[in-house]
Amino acid sequence: MRQFRRAYAISRKDIESYYGKPPLVTWGLLFPAVLLLSLYVKDPTTYLAIAPGIIAMTLLFGSTSMAAIVVTFEKRAGTFQRLLLAPLSMRTIILGKAASASAYGLATALVLTLGLKFALGMTLVDPVIFLVGLILGASCFSLLGLTAAVIVREVFEAMTLMNFVRFPVLFISGVFMPLSQLPSWLQPLALLSPLTYVVDLLQIGVTGRSAIGGPVVSVLAGLLFLLASALLAELLFRRAAFQ
Amino acid sequence: MRSVPIISVSNLSKSFGSLRALREVSFSVQRGEIFAYLGPNGAGKTTTIRILGGLLPRDAGEVSICGADVAREPVFVKERIGVVPDESNLYPELTCRRNLEYLGELYGLRRGMRSAKATELLEFFALTGRADTPFGALSRGLKRRLTIAAALVHEPEVVFLDEPTSGLDVPSARALRELIRSINRRGATVFLTTHNLQEAEVLSQRVLILIQGRVAALGTPAEIRQRVQRLNLLAVTFSPQIEVAPLLKACPAVLQASFQNGVWRLEVTEAHAALQQLVSFAEAAGVRLSEISTMTASLEDAFMSLLTECTTKEEARP
Repeated sequence: MRQFRRAYAISRKDIESYYGKPPLVTWGLLFPAVLLLSLYVKDPTTYLAIAPGIIAMTLLFGSTSMAAIVVTFEKRAGTFQRLLLAPLSMRTIILGKAASASAYGLATALVLTLGLKFALGMTLVDPVIFLVGLILGASCFSLLGLTAAVIVREVFEAMTLMNFVRFPVLFISGVFMPLSQLPSWLQPLALLSPLTYVVDLLQIGVTGRSAIGGPVVSVLAGLLFLLASALLAELLFRRAAFQ
Repeated sequence: MRSVPIISVSNLSKSFGSLRALREVSFSVQRGEIFAYLGPNGAGKTTTIRILGGLLPRDAGEVSICGADVAREPVFVKERIGVVPDESNLYPELTCRRNLEYLGELYGLRRGMRSAKATELLEFFALTGRADTPFGALSRGLKRRLTIAAALVHEPEVVFLDEPTSGLDVPSARALRELIRSINRRGATVFLTTHNLQEAEVLSQRVLILIQGRVAALGTPAEIRQRVQRLNLLAVTFSPQIEVAPLLKACPAVLQASFQNGVWRLEVTEAHAALQQLVSFAEAAGVRLSEISTMTASLEDAFMSLLTECTTKEEARP
């Protein structure tokens, strides 16, 4: 319990120092909002098909970027050492850092969703599954952002490393087109991407339709990816802490 | 009966690739002591602090702080120690008060306690007027003070200070030394690494000199100075001034000569023989010995002597 309170302190401080700043909030929202608006202007009847993918993309970029930037920045400034000197378990540090990055990703995705609801009339047929998808995605992506941050030294290196993964993943995970329209040889690869399951859960939330096999499959797959990301982050953090 | 040491290090070794940073280092620190850990650059001081602070794993040896091993019980040990790194590394965007309160949260202090402690420390370190100033906007000296304050927020039993006065001007360094004494008077054991030998001499009860990862000397400053008392030191003034080469050539009893502020500082094997040789040299050179006196070895003399001794030994190793 004491460690949970300390993880909460880390998250709160990160939100206060970094995530709560207005420029950062608008940075996370501007691109997806403009993209969706353009699609809506082009064809108001089909934008809904792509909206869950864009929301998932917002979540992916928001959570991974912020986690990586904050940790890399703190490593450079020497302030990350304060956490290592404090009586915190490695899991507490990871939890604290990942929770604030997840909160940022979630907040931007939710603001985008609310914008779509009130401005363009998007409705959610299954809000619970939609929210589960957002939470699973934000948690998993922020942990992946943290792992990138501990591998590299500079912020630009973290961004390069993540873009190397994020852009191919965007292409294969059903963000811009349904999985069924991907070339057959790419479809098995899509199943190896956590984003695929997040897009599917958001799709179920918005349209009620799943491209994979229903919410249970996507939730279980999302949980598996979350566990794998957490284990990877812990392993790399332990190693990096002593460098 | 001697009390149980608060820090106990036994045969501590650490290598980075082929570089042996620490070689079977052993020492203990008693509760309430100010213990100085000295050494030239690259001697292994910061490596030791990083191991004791739980930031670096050791290769071999035993380390116990407050009765526990930092590698096996890191949370227990970290709750009882405060570490001031050589760089002042608090959060630049947070105010002085918020920095202290945040660190208090990380150390598990309750809300009321955190606020009271921050107020107390700001007052103790004369930073009350800067409570709402972001850390990044402070001067170097004030940053150092707040970094030390941050290490005390949870009232640690042991405080590790890595080069606390490094880069500070004389008044700030002096004020900080007084604060270190006050921290010790409040009950904390102080483990201090410094390049400043005078600082170590005036602050600490015991000193360890680390050279090339090995313990070269351990004891009170007086005990360590005694190790070099066998070396006689003379302060000599010639008028007019002379060159060092003829002096060393004419006086075999003079081992080393250095010139500072118009005075020759001579390290001699035996004072009587050296005096005779110096008088003969002065007569032959046509200069006057205007002043001559014996000198007491300082900790710096002892340090330099040990450094030369260890370097010579190391070079002689196959």
